[in-house]
Amino acid sequence: MSDVAELVELLDLEQIEPDLFRGSQPDSARARVYGGQVAAQAVVAGIRTVDPAYAVHSLHSYFLRPGDYAVPIVYDVERIRDGRSFQSRRVVARQHGRPIYYQTLDFQLPEEGYEHQDAMPRVGPPEDGLDLVDLMRARGNADADALGKEWSALDVRYLGNSRHGLPEHPRHRAQAQMWIRIREELPADPVVHLAAFTYASDVSLLGASLAAHDADPTKTQMASLDHTIWFHRPFRVDEWWLYDQFSPSASGARGLSLGRVFLADGTLVASLAQEGLIRPRS
Amino acid sequence: MPRDAAALLALLDLERIDDNLFRGAMEPSSLPRVFGGQVAAQALVAGTRTVDPAYAVHSLHSYFLQPGDPAARIVYDVETLRDGRSFSTRRVLARQHGRPIFALTANFQVAEDGWDHHDVMPTVPSPEDSLDPRRVLAELYPDRDTSGDSEWDVADLRYVGSSGDGLLAPGPEHPALQRCWLRVSSALPDDPFLHVAAFTYLSDMTLMGAALAPHGARPEDGTHLIASLDHAIWFHRPFRADEWWLYDQTSPWAGGGRGLVTAGVFTADGTLVATVAQEALMRKFDPSRRPSRGDAS
Repeated sequence: MSDVAELVELLDLEQIEPDLFRGSQPDSARARVYGGQVAAQAVVAGIRTVDPAYAVHSLHSYFLRPGDYAVPIVYDVERIRDGRSFQSRRVVARQHGRPIYYQTLDFQLPEEGYEHQDAMPRVGPPEDGLDLVDLMRARGNADADALGKEWSALDVRYLGNSRHGLPEHPRHRAQAQMWIRIREELPADPVVHLAAFTYASDVSLLGASLAAHDADPTKTQMASLDHTIWFHRPFRVDEWWLYDQFSPSASGARGLSLGRVFLADGTLVASLAQEGLIRPRS
Repeated sequence: MPRDAAALLALLDLERIDDNLFRGAMEPSSLPRVFGGQVAAQALVAGTRTVDPAYAVHSLHSYFLQPGDPAARIVYDVETLRDGRSFSTRRVLARQHGRPIFALTANFQVAEDGWDHHDVMPTVPSPEDSLDPRRVLAELYPDRDTSGDSEWDVADLRYVGSSGDGLLAPGPEHPALQRCWLRVSSALPDDPFLHVAAFTYLSDMTLMGAALAPHGARPEDGTHLIASLDHAIWFHRPFRADEWWLYDQTSPWAGGGRGLVTAGVFTADGTLVATVAQEALMRKFDPSRRPSRGDAS
């Protein structure tokens, strides 16, 4: 089976009961479940409980405990609003009888309204970028090989950050940019694209908060604390998208990163926020 | 609505009904529904009451589920999601009439040190050189009903401008900007959490002005239904909510009847102390129907 087919399988949950689902686990050499996998499986669980006429437009989530690859994750969905225009779900990801992750999702019946968006920054093409996993390996990240295997469905081309490759910004001290796509064509189902995007969105976002600092990745403990996505428009995640990130602040061993996702034609399709632990190891 | 700091503090001092169960006071108001900032701030107070004071709140994420009824008090039901060594997490459900109206999750951390950086504050006029928002609105909308304005007296607001009114130039990247100075209008006690809670209350004000700025519209023009959908705050550094802070707002996107706004909060010395994100519904009223007033957030 190809890496992409494995990802699609990972995003297809087993239904145990109405509103109760179980996800499969990949073959991983890492100790803790990748956050993007938990977030993506939780989105799929939430979507399965909502009338398909409603589209998910946002999610807010907290990571509570490290996930364990040795056992499947169970997703328990609570219906917190069934409104005319909006529906809301709260998904609890559980392992060993304890919550490891909480996600709240909001769905909307499509409607029309005002439209505007930020302009896409000027960047080089994906071909100008460096393979993210190669870059991590070169920087001595001990997790690089295991991550490279786990993220093998993703093609990530790193364009640079505030210290390497990007020009100084008048207001943002910490920035990073990269192009991402799923390596092979995904099935047409928009839910697969949305879930695969959620999976990929946890790659590197926290790293933007270290872009202003000469931080040795081997001496830094990093863990996502929360993860937020506003989905603006459906898009194909197997075609290149620009992940434009900046970190407005770091303090108290935490860093906040904000992300915007642009298609190659300049359309803004999603906005993200993530706070993470960036703890110097003594 | 609370008119001064004392009334705001009273609103933020919840009645304890049982372990993990609280009830908030309600102030008389002409708003047709409860101000979102009140629900968010009261929910944060409820969550914080159940956490060891050694842990300080560093973020909250919330969804508005139903309009709050100003005629009924709100009950806050707190669930412990995690009590870890470094982090504690609470979920608070706000309930009225037997159903959830608002859901908030907040994360608390034991203080520690690490890397430090923050965005640079934009160049803006001082609060003293900024505009009185009520005068701005009086010039724009001479027929506007101002009878409810004094309900907002707990907030001292000075308007800098938006990309829609020519007072701010739209950035090359950002078509939708708005900036204002805000503070609680009278002094608060020194307890840092009271400043966090008071800021949370005020943080639901003005945001959607940024999302409407490119469309020749304002939240106060009475032609739109504006309803906050979610509200998130990351608290970076302690600050006084009763001293001026700049609310620097950008709307990266609007579509589908919704608008997203992210905002940096800077103290007057240029320090970034918080980041806020909110998505809201912004629907233009059908001109054949009379709009309801009071969508102040």
